[in-house]
Amino acid sequence: MEVGSIAADLHEQEHHGPPTPNQSSRVDAQTLGIYLFIISEIMLFGAFFTAYFFLRVVKGDPWPAPGTTIPVGIAAVNTAVLVSSSFTMHWANVSAKNGNRPAMRAGLWATFFLGLTFLSVQINEYVHLGWSPQDHAQGTIFYGLTGLHGAHVTVGLLLLLFANIRANRGHFSPDAHRGVEIPGIYWHFVDVMWIFVFFSLYIL
Amino acid sequence: MAFAAKLKAPGWYRALLGMIIAFGFGLGLDVGIRALYGWHPLIETDAITTIELIAVPIGFLIGLGAFDYWFRWASGAPTIPEDHSGHGARSWRDYFRVNTDHKVIGLQYICTTFFFFVCGGLMAMLMRAELAAPGLQFVSPNTFNGLFSVHASLMIFLFIIPVFAGIANYVLPLMIGAPDMAFPRLNALSYWMLPIAGIMMLASFFAPGGSFATGWTAYAPLSTDTPLGQTFFSVAIQFAGASSIATALNFLVTIITMRAPGMTFWRMPLLVWANFTTSLLVVIATPFIAGSQFFLILDRALHTNFFDVAKGGDILMYQHVFWFYSHPAVYIMMLPGFGIISEVISTHARKPVFGYRMMAFSLMAIIVLGFTVWAHHMFVSGMFPWLRVPMMITTMLIALPTGIKIFSWLATLWRGVIHLTTPMLFALGFITMFTLGGISGVMLAVIPFDIHVSDTYFVVAHIHYVLFGGSVFTIFAGIYHWFPKMTGRMYDETLGKIHFWLSFIFFNTTFGPMHLVGIDGMPRRVADYAHQYAAWNAFISVSAFIFGMTFFIFVYNIVTSWRHGPVAVANPWRAHTLEWQVSSPPPIFNFDEVPTVVGGPYEYGVPGAVHGVFKERVPVTTAAGGGGAPPPVNTE
Repeated sequence: MEVGSIAADLHEQEHHGPPTPNQSSRVDAQTLGIYLFIISEIMLFGAFFTAYFFLRVVKGDPWPAPGTTIPVGIAAVNTAVLVSSSFTMHWANVSAKNGNRPAMRAGLWATFFLGLTFLSVQINEYVHLGWSPQDHAQGTIFYGLTGLHGAHVTVGLLLLLFANIRANRGHFSPDAHRGVEIPGIYWHFVDVMWIFVFFSLYIL
Repeated sequence: MAFAAKLKAPGWYRALLGMIIAFGFGLGLDVGIRALYGWHPLIETDAITTIELIAVPIGFLIGLGAFDYWFRWASGAPTIPEDHSGHGARSWRDYFRVNTDHKVIGLQYICTTFFFFVCGGLMAMLMRAELAAPGLQFVSPNTFNGLFSVHASLMIFLFIIPVFAGIANYVLPLMIGAPDMAFPRLNALSYWMLPIAGIMMLASFFAPGGSFATGWTAYAPLSTDTPLGQTFFSVAIQFAGASSIATALNFLVTIITMRAPGMTFWRMPLLVWANFTTSLLVVIATPFIAGSQFFLILDRALHTNFFDVAKGGDILMYQHVFWFYSHPAVYIMMLPGFGIISEVISTHARKPVFGYRMMAFSLMAIIVLGFTVWAHHMFVSGMFPWLRVPMMITTMLIALPTGIKIFSWLATLWRGVIHLTTPMLFALGFITMFTLGGISGVMLAVIPFDIHVSDTYFVVAHIHYVLFGGSVFTIFAGIYHWFPKMTGRMYDETLGKIHFWLSFIFFNTTFGPMHLVGIDGMPRRVADYAHQYAAWNAFISVSAFIFGMTFFIFVYNIVTSWRHGPVAVANPWRAHTLEWQVSSPPPIFNFDEVPTVVGGPYEYGVPGAVHGVFKERVPVTTAAGGGGAPPPVNTE
């Protein structure tokens, strides 16, 4: 059977607004969107890790470059800072779900400042490393991967800042807290990615 | 005052202002950093251009209003209640704004990409003029290198990939019964990043040292040593890639979360399946080309050592990263076309698609295999010898799922009621030409043969058989097929058929002989050639000029039909899929009420078969229902 078509005079009914779309998945659009975005981010890191792989595995060059050192201790502490920020983020998210606003705000700000600490330590490390990305391929890849990660931390911090501003302005409720949840997912991704970067560049 | 208000409201005035501010910001940033570090000279053209290429487009996007909503959202300000003023087009001006209507964005995409198609085509004509005879006629070798580089980049990144996104943008939400895409504002942003990339590639001709001239592949270390034009390419790719990823993400979320009730994955039209798989490829693979171009930009601008062999860089790494995107990219350029062909053949042959599930599975098989064949582009690059044979085998394996699709289309045609309309002609032309391109593809997968014809016109012939005879024919099929839906008017069938036959014939006389001169050893990407190829090249050039002119038949047909063509009924092809069940062009919000899907999309000839039903509405008993008489049962 051919279904009759909607008559063209629907153009005149545009003030009705769009029909409610059917929700055909248990996952909501925003959450699915951020997960897909993270997949593409992982692949971008993949391209940089490919460069790392070619240097260390395919060519077998020494790591770090001869005559240079990488400050593992500071980075390990910094890793702990970043990982702990994932827990505060989780706390903020759970509190948002439970409607505990003071805890949510405390969690968001704690995450933000832990992230800021991480970034500052990272910049401080750049200043004191004593070698630059222009010196050798090892430097290029070290700065490339940590820089790419630093850029992601910066984006994560921006998202957290937005969430903080909105939380301070009274946004978010147990029913509507996607503005905490989505930056949270991104922040966890940034954390997990750092663990891979840390192990590849500092430990291995 | 009125002018000040114009500068505050989103639009072109503010976009201009945004570009000026961004230019100033970029200049200050560059000069400031150089002053801080004590580098001289303070004003350095290459550095400033690199920064401005990134800053100015962002200023443009902010000024145009692509981020307005998000700025308000981020600052926690009360967002303006949605009055749908940015949705739908009431005049042609609305096509030049940040519009959130997927139908408007679809047309924006299609028109923009066809503009760049013309630009790329004119460059091809110039190249053929240069190649009409041995020796140098019109352009210098470096200009010629620039021409084929920009030609390929425009055709790939500004025409084939985005025009499919445009067609799908228009059709896909309608097909799955959604009022719009999942993220309409992101959709608008994806579109507006596209012309930026195209204009940047064209503008590279004005850069000191000429446009980028390293081919669309931009192999390092050649691309790290060439003049400034190369940076235009690398940055343009970032914008086109970001646009591509954002659209793909949008498609995936739309398909997964917004299907009409009853539309299971196995009731989706194959165009939706094709875009689902393509979008997966884009999301997974495109970041790799972004990465490769980041490496290039960093090497060029900051003198890092990704590709500086003297300091431990690895130039083969570029090719691996590049082809890890760019081989899947050929499926990004082909799978949506497969979807279009399935729609067109099934509808115009009045038969269900043969092997519907296998069609979907073979799409999935192609994307999985597509990630395992990248190094077949590198057989002569000096990469690990052990990687060659596995890559040859996987490359040949890809012919299997592709063959499943070809034979399924043929089986769909078998004993169908074939209506030789223009879209159907292009679909048939696609099947034959793409099969030829596929065969030369399998030939190229064979390592010894590939080594023999590497960098010859055989490769040029192959790429054009799969990308023109393949992708572009499907684009024409799709444009003709959905033209009545998009514009509400019918195109001229006679002109359409003339367009098909002329382009089909002259396509073959243009690219067919390239196989021969290629096997004879004529190198590609060179402005001059040996006298032994002169006769064939003169023939190819003449064919190419006629072939180029056939495009104007298409333009004339589309433009005049759009303005004065006969009014199209809602469902001129008597198709079952949902987009044909609404008026032509569709209402501003697509549906009054989201329809319910109760059956497969291609049940042509099955008595009583229905794809979607509209609640609260008795079937309209006028011709608007399509097909003329109001049959309660389509017994075709």
